[in-house]
Amino acid sequence: MAKQFKSGDTFTHVRECDTYRPIYYAAASGDFNPIHLDKAVGEMAGLGGVVLHGMCTMAWAVEAAIKYLGDPGKLRKVRVRFSRPVAPDDTITFQGKVTSVDNGRLVAEILAKNQRGEEVLKGATIEADVG
Amino acid sequence: MPIDPRFVGKRYGPFRYEIGLEKMREFALAVGGGIPSPSFGSIPDDLNPLFYDENAGKSGPYGSVIAFPTFAVTFAIAPFAAAVSDPELQINLLMLVHGEQQFEFFGPMSPGDVVTTTGSISEIFEKSQKDFLVFVSESKNQKDELLVRATWTAVIRR
Repeated sequence: MAKQFKSGDTFTHVRECDTYRPIYYAAASGDFNPIHLDKAVGEMAGLGGVVLHGMCTMAWAVEAAIKYLGDPGKLRKVRVRFSRPVAPDDTITFQGKVTSVDNGRLVAEILAKNQRGEEVLKGATIEADVG
Repeated sequence: MPIDPRFVGKRYGPFRYEIGLEKMREFALAVGGGIPSPSFGSIPDDLNPLFYDENAGKSGPYGSVIAFPTFAVTFAIAPFAAAVSDPELQINLLMLVHGEQQFEFFGPMSPGDVVTTTGSISEIFEKSQKDFLVFVSESKNQKDELLVRATWTAVIRR
C-alpha cells in the first residue's frame, strides 16, 4: 500500500558539515568559489574561515523531504532563503512539517538550525506530488 | 554603484550540458555524506539506490538512475553565472552573496539527457543599501520538455 501523507506529519534529518564537505560539494557541483575552500579568502570575506555552499545546505533540506516522501521524483518545488553560513564542524538539524495536502499536492515547511539553535535557512518550503 | 535596471530582460544562453551517470552519482554521494568518487570511500547506508544503482533504477519508477533534485544546479547555474559576471552589469563578485534560491522540477533527470538552459534577468532593485538581482532560468531536455525552472537571487553588498 502506498504511503499515506497528511497535514501535520513531521520529519527530521541531521547532517554534520565535516571538514572536507565543502571540498566534496565543490567537486560535485562545480562551484569552486574560494570562500568554500581557502581559509584565508573566507577570513578576508568576513566569514571567519571557509563556509559550506548554501546550495549544499539546501540539498540537505531536500534530502530531509525526500527521505520522508520515499520517492525523490515526487519533489516538485523547493524554495529557501540563506540566512546564515554553515561552517565545518556545524551540525544542522532539519525539522519538517507538512502544512497541507490538497488534490495530491503536499506542502511542507522546513526549519534548519545549527547546534547553537540559529536558523541557517529561512522560509524553506517544499512541494511534492503525492496524488 | 546600483545595477542599472535597464538590464532587466537581458537574456543569457543557451548553454548545453549532457547529463552523465557518474556525475549524478558523485553529486548524490557528496550531498549524502560520502565522497564524490567512483573509487574511494563507500556508499552511505541511507543513500537512495535510485541515485546510484542501475538495477534499482531500471526496476524503479523512472526506468533509470535519476539525479538528486538539486543536481540541476550544476548546469542550470550557467546563464546566471554569465549574468553576474557580465562586464556590462559591473557587479563586484567579492560582494555578492546568494540570497535566495528556488527550483521547480517538472521531470526526473536521467543519464544521457542533453539539457539546454537559457535565462534572463527578471528583477533589479535596491533594498537596505544592497542591490538585488533576480534571475530566472529554464532547462529543457533533448525532447524540448521543460525539466527545471530555477529562480536565483543575488544580493550585492555595498
